[in-house]
Amino acid sequence: MFLTEEGTVHALDDTCTHQDASLAAGWVENCRVECPLHESTFSLRTGEVDQPPAKRGVRAHQVTVQDGEVLVELSTAVPQLPPGVEVA
Amino acid sequence: MSLAPDAHLLIIGAGLAGYYTARQMRTQGHTGPITVLGAEAHPAYDRPALSKAYLCGTTDLCDLYLDDPADPLDVRWVRSDAVVGLSTEPLGVRTASGTFYLGDAVVIATGAEARRLGGHAIRCVEDAAALRAAPLAGARVAVIGGGFLALETAATCTTRGAGSVTVIAGEELPGLRRLGQPVAQALHRLHEQHGVRFLGAARALSVTPAGHAEHPEHAEHPGSPEHVITLSDGRRIEADVVISAVGAVPATAWLTRSALALDPETQAVLTDDTGFTGIPGIWAAGDCALWAAQRTGLRPVGHWQETVDQAQALASAMLGGVPSPMQEPYLWSDQHHVTIQAAGMLALADEVQVLAGSIEAGDLLVSYLREGTEIGILGMNRLREVVRWRRARRIRPAALAA
Repeated sequence: MFLTEEGTVHALDDTCTHQDASLAAGWVENCRVECPLHESTFSLRTGEVDQPPAKRGVRAHQVTVQDGEVLVELSTAVPQLPPGVEVA
Repeated sequence: MSLAPDAHLLIIGAGLAGYYTARQMRTQGHTGPITVLGAEAHPAYDRPALSKAYLCGTTDLCDLYLDDPADPLDVRWVRSDAVVGLSTEPLGVRTASGTFYLGDAVVIATGAEARRLGGHAIRCVEDAAALRAAPLAGARVAVIGGGFLALETAATCTTRGAGSVTVIAGEELPGLRRLGQPVAQALHRLHEQHGVRFLGAARALSVTPAGHAEHPEHAEHPGSPEHVITLSDGRRIEADVVISAVGAVPATAWLTRSALALDPETQAVLTDDTGFTGIPGIWAAGDCALWAAQRTGLRPVGHWQETVDQAQALASAMLGGVPSPMQEPYLWSDQHHVTIQAAGMLALADEVQVLAGSIEAGDLLVSYLREGTEIGILGMNRLREVVRWRRARRIRPAALAA
């Protein structure tokens, strides 16, 4: 979950698609999060990736804020996990 | 003089430097043909996983390909043909197969080759595949070297079920000279907790097949080992599997009689801080090159991020675009599920301060200072802090500055 300086809330899959790293520890700027290990950045809105080493985007989940509560509707797309990492 | 839009660029070497140079040239708008000549039979691949996930067997070579098959670079790849000679007039290169390739500009990116003391090394995928196929379960493994490659490999060997893993780091604690006391102690402790044994400051002098060695008087293991390692303090270590991770030398033998200036010590191609060699049309990047700031010790040699940053700087200089600044040096490593990241000019530090965490918990955050000013940082499982440090010091290209 990301809360930007502009006050918008976003939800992405947490694992970078290149290597097992938590995007929650990354750097948020211009509505994108940069992986804490490498240079790939992901859109907080759509999950798409801009540059290598990651090749695939992450899933973005639909977020609505209602009376101060954050509601997330999980994406039904197939998660894009890095090689060697599986869903627990 | 910048490269003409329709100029033919030859990139010699299809590793990280070659791939990223080609990629940056396209990203920064070069439309002319690009040919990348590689000695290896494989598509360009990324090497960091060779000592980790690939060696564990959790990823395969196709997972390591740098180019995206769904969105490939517009580049002509020539594989399995090593370049053997450089010509300045006309500008081009000759390959082992006897082909001459003409170019309007040449980027030398042949990388480096592992120093091999004996036993296994880890540089290319064939090296890693050989070690991956080796029966490590229950084996006595000896790793020669104390850098991150050696430590990662040692960690992976414990995961693979080695009977024992002994690291001959050549210093009292691994990483002591480069990273300072607290980090070296924490690395030592982390590895010992996972069963890795260190042999202190002794260096490995030679690796010999056990059958040819004299019978060691104080054999440390029973059974009949494959190798005997002789140490500088006279000890002899028996091992079933020996892995050398003792550095690399620039792959520039093919340039010895060329017009290029090579570093007398390492034979790396000497360039300015854009990768330009001083000979019109010839540039160099990655582990085969020594940029000016690396020669003076300001910047590190052999790091993944350094090569990626060089490719961007080289491409912008070659195309005459807005100069791409080199960022703070950065490296990372994974050992026993601890992510170690360092940024800044660690080599210049005269003081090390622990900011948070402890050696015992393996979660150190360490500051490197020179004359009282912070010039670097290192974190163990401190992704948030390190990323913040790097971003706070990010240098933006001139055109975007206020």
